[in-house]
Amino acid sequence: MISKARKISNYRELKKELPSKRYVDPEFVYLSLTTNRCGDYHLDVEENDYVKFGQVIGERSGGFFKQPIYSTCSGHVEKVVEKYDGTGFKGKFLTIRNDFKDLPCETVQDRPDSVIDKFTQKDYVEIVKDRGIVGLGGSGFPSYVKLQTEEKIKHVVINAVECEPYLSSDYRLIKDHPEKVLDGLKYIMKAVGAETGVIAIKKDKKILIEVLEREIKRYKDLDIRIAKLANYYPQGWEIETFKNALGIKVPVGELPMKYGILGFNVSTTASIFNAVKHNYPITKRHMTINGDAIKFPQSIRVRVGTSVKDLIKLCDGFVDDVEKIDLVSGGPMMGTSVPTEDIVITPTTTSILAFKHIEHKEEPCVRCGSCVYSCPVEIQPVQIMNAVKRNDKAALEKLEAKKCIECGLCAYVCTSKIHVTDYVRKGKQMIG
Amino acid sequence: MEMVTVNSPHLRRPNARVTRMMRDVSIALLPLVIFAIYQHGLSAFWILFASVASMLGTEYIYYQIKDLLDGDQFKWNNKSFTIYNFTVITSGLIYGLTLPEQVPLMVVIIGGVVGVFLAKLIFGGMGQNIFNIAAFARVFVVLSFGSALVYGEFIDTQAGATALGVLNQTPFAEGVTDSYSYWQMFSGIGLPGSLGETSALLILVGGLYLGLRRSFDVFVPLVYIATVGLLSLGVMWQQDLGLWYPMTHLLSGGLLFGAIYMATDPVTIPVTRPGRVYFAFGLGVITFVIRLFGQLPEGVVFAILIMNMFVPAIDYPKWAKSKFSLRSGLVFAGVIVLSLIMVIVGANYVG
Repeated sequence: MISKARKISNYRELKKELPSKRYVDPEFVYLSLTTNRCGDYHLDVEENDYVKFGQVIGERSGGFFKQPIYSTCSGHVEKVVEKYDGTGFKGKFLTIRNDFKDLPCETVQDRPDSVIDKFTQKDYVEIVKDRGIVGLGGSGFPSYVKLQTEEKIKHVVINAVECEPYLSSDYRLIKDHPEKVLDGLKYIMKAVGAETGVIAIKKDKKILIEVLEREIKRYKDLDIRIAKLANYYPQGWEIETFKNALGIKVPVGELPMKYGILGFNVSTTASIFNAVKHNYPITKRHMTINGDAIKFPQSIRVRVGTSVKDLIKLCDGFVDDVEKIDLVSGGPMMGTSVPTEDIVITPTTTSILAFKHIEHKEEPCVRCGSCVYSCPVEIQPVQIMNAVKRNDKAALEKLEAKKCIECGLCAYVCTSKIHVTDYVRKGKQMIG
Repeated sequence: MEMVTVNSPHLRRPNARVTRMMRDVSIALLPLVIFAIYQHGLSAFWILFASVASMLGTEYIYYQIKDLLDGDQFKWNNKSFTIYNFTVITSGLIYGLTLPEQVPLMVVIIGGVVGVFLAKLIFGGMGQNIFNIAAFARVFVVLSFGSALVYGEFIDTQAGATALGVLNQTPFAEGVTDSYSYWQMFSGIGLPGSLGETSALLILVGGLYLGLRRSFDVFVPLVYIATVGLLSLGVMWQQDLGLWYPMTHLLSGGLLFGAIYMATDPVTIPVTRPGRVYFAFGLGVITFVIRLFGQLPEGVVFAILIMNMFVPAIDYPKWAKSKFSLRSGLVFAGVIVLSLIMVIVGANYVG
């Protein structure tokens, strides 16, 4: 097939309309102490201490920023164990035995609207920083960095595109709690003084658009609109979303803030609402268990710190007639394989997908050009692959291999089933 | 059950397979094969059989020897042999269909063996060849055994379909359309010429199939045919000829066949869309220039081989872009105008 890839075929349609399963009370909750960004931590609690819901139990620190660690349930502290998180990183986790009471910490208190109305940008940044809100689309980028921008922001874009197949967490969040998303948007717009708020969503999600349109009517004083975007991958890539929702083209590699745009993921927006209004850290999230190797795929509302093992059990486990499983954290196009099911849900885990592993027979490249046609950043993956094989760094510079966003489309469309994306990654490292 | 780790992406496009693509080309060629056998009888069958078998056999023997030299055990089922993905069969069929019916089988076999060996195998097999295999084999036969290529009623020692043969002798004489009606030229019934090149109708049906299945890049044949059409319209206008002139150029000879089956071989064309458009445009200009000014009546295979040589230049990282820009569009428009002027002015000196 020589053609551009528009839509990623969805082998197994998840019934997104099914209500989210609530699984918020596991017996043990594992709190992430180290991540791939932060290697160090210190704990303020000791074994057998009693911690409350929303209590600060320590602090993790990375190269140039620090994050408080919050307890997402109440219970007794147990041992520090080693487990994998959703990025495939083997980190340290603090075990907490849940007492199922959810006793809130004193700091977890609702703020009245009259207080919030007087907040300045600095206050918002302070809260978001203090509550450890990060980009929940998967990046894990601290949100306060975006909020404390000094550029003049005109548009705040809420990215609800969710363009990868199999995923449903943003879908369920908007369907269940549109008011959280819109309130979060309101706070962000007030914090940065934006004129318009845009919710970018795929136009085939008609139910969500209906829900949002009704909800928007309650926010008459704000200029919020819905941008209905075409259904293709990678529509949810920030720059593509901005281009189609606002008509502003941000060059690859430049910060959108410079162009007066601030983009947030739906879940991030809702968690900003929770932080500002209820003073919650990120304690629960919507996520998806899906894939052709799962018996009963479903959307789950889950507490941060839950073990994926329990969740897979909740979905009736893996299908029987399968020998090799490719367990993915994140979307099927950009997610990472995790080597074991003993992983823990962190705030940035959007989904766990299990695929039957297919050994693709790689054939020689026939230069069909599908990868060139499909590439969203308009580079030429096949030429980059050949340059990598030749070890030709000059050509890699000319071919702008650095522009690659690793969306995976080149490998997806490849007629010869070559893992082109891997070669391009290698090329990026070579000139990195 | 076992966990494996794979780098993203974890999905692959289900319809993207080399086998599917090449098998589609073979399927699209089937009506032409049937038509050739219907029109020319058993001799057509033997020519096609010889062309496919010679290419298949050469490749099989080559890989057996290569594996033995690499120190592998002899096995009848060779691992590098690519019969399953139809590439050799497709090349063989295309090559066979470009030959006239009276070619001695020996010539067919020599052409096939030399073609697949020199154009494909010594470059490293599938995906590595610079020249279109079928075009190479065909040109080899034309240059080595020109006198063996005899077309039906017209005794023409050169390659090419015959309406063009007439046109080559007397460039602007309206004699061609007297002997054949447009319908005959379109359907190919009773038309002398190569086995597969006569029926424009069936070629277009095959092209439609390939286009719908997305097994070729539809831009290449479209631009190629449009370029030849544009240039012949220019000459028609300048020489004050009838519409028969461009029609003859489009319908007769190997243009349609070459444009749809040979010029679209992905291995030997550029990878970017603008590159493919430039490539197809170059094919059109060279084909028309050979037809108008050249000694040979037919220029398609030569044009393909010549443009194949320019593919690395078109794909050169420094200027190959995957989208048209305003600047490249303007330059390209300028080149189109210049080629048109060249052909129109040159037509004055022909004949």
